[in-house]
Amino acid sequence: MDVVFNRVGKRFGQRDALADLSFELQSGEMAFLTGRSGAGKSTLLRLLLLLERASSGDIAVGGTPLSKIKPSGIARYRRDFGVVFQDHQLLSDRSVYHNVALPLEIAGFTQRDIDRRVRAALDKVGLLDRERANPDTLSGGEQQRVGIARAVVARPKILIADEPTGNLDPQLSAEIMGLFSAFNSVGVTVIVASHDLALISRMSHRILTLDKGSLITVGDLQRGQH
Amino acid sequence: MSNQQPAAGIGMGPRSPISAYFHHHRQAARVSYGKLLQAPVSNFLTILVIGVALALPHLGISIATAVQGQIEQLDSPPQLSLLLDREVTFKEAERIRDQVLRKPGIAEVKLVDREAALADFTAATGLESLVQRMNSNPLPHSLWVYPKANVRTAGLEQLQIDLAALNGVSQVILDSRWLKRLNAFTDLLRTTGYVLFFVMALGVVLTLGNTLRLGIEARRDEIVVIKLIGGGNAFARRPFLYTGLFTGALGGVMASLLSGFALMALNAPVNRLFELYDQVPAVPSLVPSDLLLLILMGAVLGLISAWYSAQLHLTRIQPR
Repeated sequence: MDVVFNRVGKRFGQRDALADLSFELQSGEMAFLTGRSGAGKSTLLRLLLLLERASSGDIAVGGTPLSKIKPSGIARYRRDFGVVFQDHQLLSDRSVYHNVALPLEIAGFTQRDIDRRVRAALDKVGLLDRERANPDTLSGGEQQRVGIARAVVARPKILIADEPTGNLDPQLSAEIMGLFSAFNSVGVTVIVASHDLALISRMSHRILTLDKGSLITVGDLQRGQH
Repeated sequence: MSNQQPAAGIGMGPRSPISAYFHHHRQAARVSYGKLLQAPVSNFLTILVIGVALALPHLGISIATAVQGQIEQLDSPPQLSLLLDREVTFKEAERIRDQVLRKPGIAEVKLVDREAALADFTAATGLESLVQRMNSNPLPHSLWVYPKANVRTAGLEQLQIDLAALNGVSQVILDSRWLKRLNAFTDLLRTTGYVLFFVMALGVVLTLGNTLRLGIEARRDEIVVIKLIGGGNAFARRPFLYTGLFTGALGGVMASLLSGFALMALNAPVNRLFELYDQVPAVPSLVPSDLLLLILMGAVLGLISAWYSAQLHLTRIQPR
């Protein structure tokens, strides 16, 4: 599913969080959003998830202008996304299994399908043996992997991660990034916001660098274009 | 970590929208039932509050209905007493009696001679010496008029007017004030019951709505996550609607129990009241239709509370 930003701006009061932002991501592409804190990475992702509406410009996802999506259609629109959060956002009153199953329950999958998909997703992130555990009993890295399993279990068209390695050590961070690459390799569009330049430099994917709400570089590390 | 490919494309996909809709309802009902059992004490107290709020007006209305039903069935309507002018002779009194007897709605007329009345008065009060000191009998001849059983309050009042217009009649006393008072009291009781019901219903909606608001706040994180991963307000709201429905219905069951016990306790005093009027007591009791009605009322009020609370609070919770 392709993503097109065309001269997008977002204003909070007198402050421009994003200004005149234009770029295009092809379907199945993986991109990193970088920049300092406050550069506008999270705002961009929030616009994409329709948590905010753009103040100016147009955003289109899969050819659909987001300005055409009514409030009643937002929930259905978000089902095309898998979202990974820095703080995991796991529900502590449910087991790992039921956290991962939540998007499938919302989408109305059968119990048999839920079982198969949840176990496959947990297996992929290496947590199949922890399916009955409470998320609070897991380490930070394990919690993040549960969050990733939940994000991908319903087979999203776009996977979004906001600082997914923010609280993890370098080795775990590299493992998490490896998982994103693996999902991208089966055709999922992946957008990862991170300010960890050292980590990003080891990945061979497209980079969008933001500074004070403006896009300052669009590059491809694999091709050495900066 | 496993080296398998990502878990995409496994399984048959989602159910049909209708099947998913009913599946979500079943799931929401199961979750809500589980949550009720998780906090039995606080939920029991909420159910008790709803039970009391529904039982009070139900009791008032039940008793008023039962008492008014009994009044309708009173066999002998009240008696009318006609005091004749003091100048009316016994013969003229007999003529007036015949005149009254010919009127429609009259079952029986008894002529009470004023001498006999004075003798009765003397015997009843023991004021013989006082009566002997009087120069003349102060009592007039009088007629005791018994209307037919089918003559009700409005007919009696018209009869009173008609009889008062007869020549030789000084005063007509309708002995129905006790009946009017009882009727007015039961009317008041019933109306109070209805007013109480509306006030209590509002109380139930606000109390349960506030309890559910706390539940919504306690599950704020879950609601945020649900909304972020594609669950709409309807999906997030459903468990709260079932919580309201179940709590309200259980409140109705509680109200039935409280009403049943209260009516049992009121059995004896109501019996005594009707025995005073030579009536076969018909003590109100909780019937199956009342039980169903209370449960239904509780469930509907619970659902309204949950809807109002969810609309007010759930829509405000948005992912940040």
